[in-house]
Amino acid sequence: MRNADHAGPKARHFPLRIALLSTLTVAAITVISAVPAQASQLATEVADTAGGTETNLLLQNLLNGITFGLLLALASVGLSLIYATTGLSNFAHGEQVTFGAAAAFAAVTAGAPILLAAVFAVLAGGASGWLQDTVLWSQLRKRRIAPMQQMIVSIGLALAAVNLLQIWMGAQRVRLSTSIEVRYEFGPVSIGPQTMISMAVCIVALGAVGFFLQRTRLGRATRAVSDNPALASATGISVNRVIRIVWIMSGSLAALGGVLLALYENTSDFSAGARILLLMFAAVTLGGLGHPFGALVGSLVVGIVAEVSTVFLPTPDLKYAIVMGMLILTLLVRPQGLLGRKERVG
Amino acid sequence: MDINDILQIIVSPTTAAFALAAIGLNFHYGLTGLLNMGQAGFMLIGMYGYAITISQGGSMWLGILISFVGAILFALFLGWPTLRLRGDYLAIVTIAAAEMVRLIGRSQWLKEWTGGNTGLRGNQFKGPFENLSPFQPARIVEIGPFSFHTTIWWLMLVGWVAVAVAAALFWRLNKSPWGRVLKGVREDEDAVRSLGKSVYSFKMQALIIGGVLGAAGGVIWAHGNAVQPDSMGRVTTFWIWTMLLLGGAATVLGPILGSVLFWAMFVFIKQLAPLVLPNLAPQQIEPLALAFVGIGLILLIVFRPQGILGDKREISLNV
Repeated sequence: MRNADHAGPKARHFPLRIALLSTLTVAAITVISAVPAQASQLATEVADTAGGTETNLLLQNLLNGITFGLLLALASVGLSLIYATTGLSNFAHGEQVTFGAAAAFAAVTAGAPILLAAVFAVLAGGASGWLQDTVLWSQLRKRRIAPMQQMIVSIGLALAAVNLLQIWMGAQRVRLSTSIEVRYEFGPVSIGPQTMISMAVCIVALGAVGFFLQRTRLGRATRAVSDNPALASATGISVNRVIRIVWIMSGSLAALGGVLLALYENTSDFSAGARILLLMFAAVTLGGLGHPFGALVGSLVVGIVAEVSTVFLPTPDLKYAIVMGMLILTLLVRPQGLLGRKERVG
Repeated sequence: MDINDILQIIVSPTTAAFALAAIGLNFHYGLTGLLNMGQAGFMLIGMYGYAITISQGGSMWLGILISFVGAILFALFLGWPTLRLRGDYLAIVTIAAAEMVRLIGRSQWLKEWTGGNTGLRGNQFKGPFENLSPFQPARIVEIGPFSFHTTIWWLMLVGWVAVAVAAALFWRLNKSPWGRVLKGVREDEDAVRSLGKSVYSFKMQALIIGGVLGAAGGVIWAHGNAVQPDSMGRVTTFWIWTMLLLGGAATVLGPILGSVLFWAMFVFIKQLAPLVLPNLAPQQIEPLALAFVGIGLILLIVFRPQGILGDKREISLNV
């Protein structure tokens, strides 16, 4: 296991520090801005009716970006784990996200409360991950089909899944919750309680993934497999079992991400996951393909850049184009990503 | 079941346009092993370059020139950061760049030129080409089972001649020393490098040639339909991949056969679905047919990666 840790303790904690730092930044911004709000609520209201100032817009977009980044991290951490352990760029991961929203929507339609529906979606997502690995991916590994060929298989799976989801959900937009969101004002920014709960769920879930990878036996085995499958196998780790568990985790995390995304955007449809697929790829590539914390750091960067850029762009509908441009630039100057090690790049 | 619909789609300009784009992808993937996941982006660049030039008052020839130059620049822009990296980086960058083109094209920002998300209508750019048509006067002409307007006959003639020229180009280059170097790059980059060849430069040349063919396909497609950014999303790229892998990568006729079979099957499934599943709502038929495309792609890779015409030894895919 030394192998996975040879970067040294300082480098190992670096991603954790970044995550902690960004969380603290959010907290600091909210606390600092909340103080004057309570002191002079009148002033805030006046500023609001005046249409909001430049700082106001910037901070609000920063907060939106962090929220979106956290959601994106939750959705894309599975993509990164699968890449790390199997070398597969899974193009069907967007449909995993949509599947979560669709399963939750089906449960809500059947009369379940939203919390129960979310739990159902997570379980269904995990089951879909298990099923996929059992029926498809483990068979492909057994047949020694190269990761690049598996990638094209995942494209086929994505094409099939998105259209089956469309047949299932219909082409119209669906809503998980019909309640109208109240928004709390904290000085220059406002945020709804639903979004705050979503953020908390994201942080807890991502923390759990981090704990799993860093502190548990199975998590260490997972990192060992991603470092060197042959060596891991030689030390007695059951590589296929680890990969199976990664698929289950990836499916449930993507489903949870899908549910939270549907709540955050207040709407969902059959292509909700497909729309963010490239953002997820941008996030994991930016953070460092296959690096366990790369997805988190990359997602926060992608979320913040996408939302904050709308302040400066000529038209806000270019925000995802900016992310795509950023991805290309990253590969130009630092192809291994922000956290990746240089040797990973061929 | 209408057999005529299937025959019509086989000869249609759309099929010719996709065959051209698939031949372009064959240069990338079949010959050189490059995982270009943004072929629809090349098509979109091509049709924008062509249609915008004409709608702004340029001539048709200038439009074609600009569309090809656009594809060359796009290939340079994509290849520059990624051709030195592992294959999957090229895949992610090409898909991202193609998406970027689509997002900028459909944005309100350049609406004056690109027409925003509604794109450009046919009457803004089709005129000069249709005026060149030798089939006058303009009317519907029936030949055997095919009944088209003369402008479509003219487009089909040009489209399939372009496909034939592209296939001949592939056939010739494939046999040339240049083509052998590309196949060497596909099989073993390091071996080619050790012979003193610049792998980077050869990959770039393949990317440019295939991209220009994609742009040409885009121009033909735009003439058969219109310039619509959202019909050139990444799913369109995946279709082109399915066509190439279906017909057989690294073969001369594979991409053409793939395009013909793809569209014929697509129409066939759309016609068959309501007969087999009478409960299916009309708006569910197209997604069902497209779901079959995805399943077909999976089965192809798993059971017959060389496609119909291909040679299994040529398709190792270990990039």
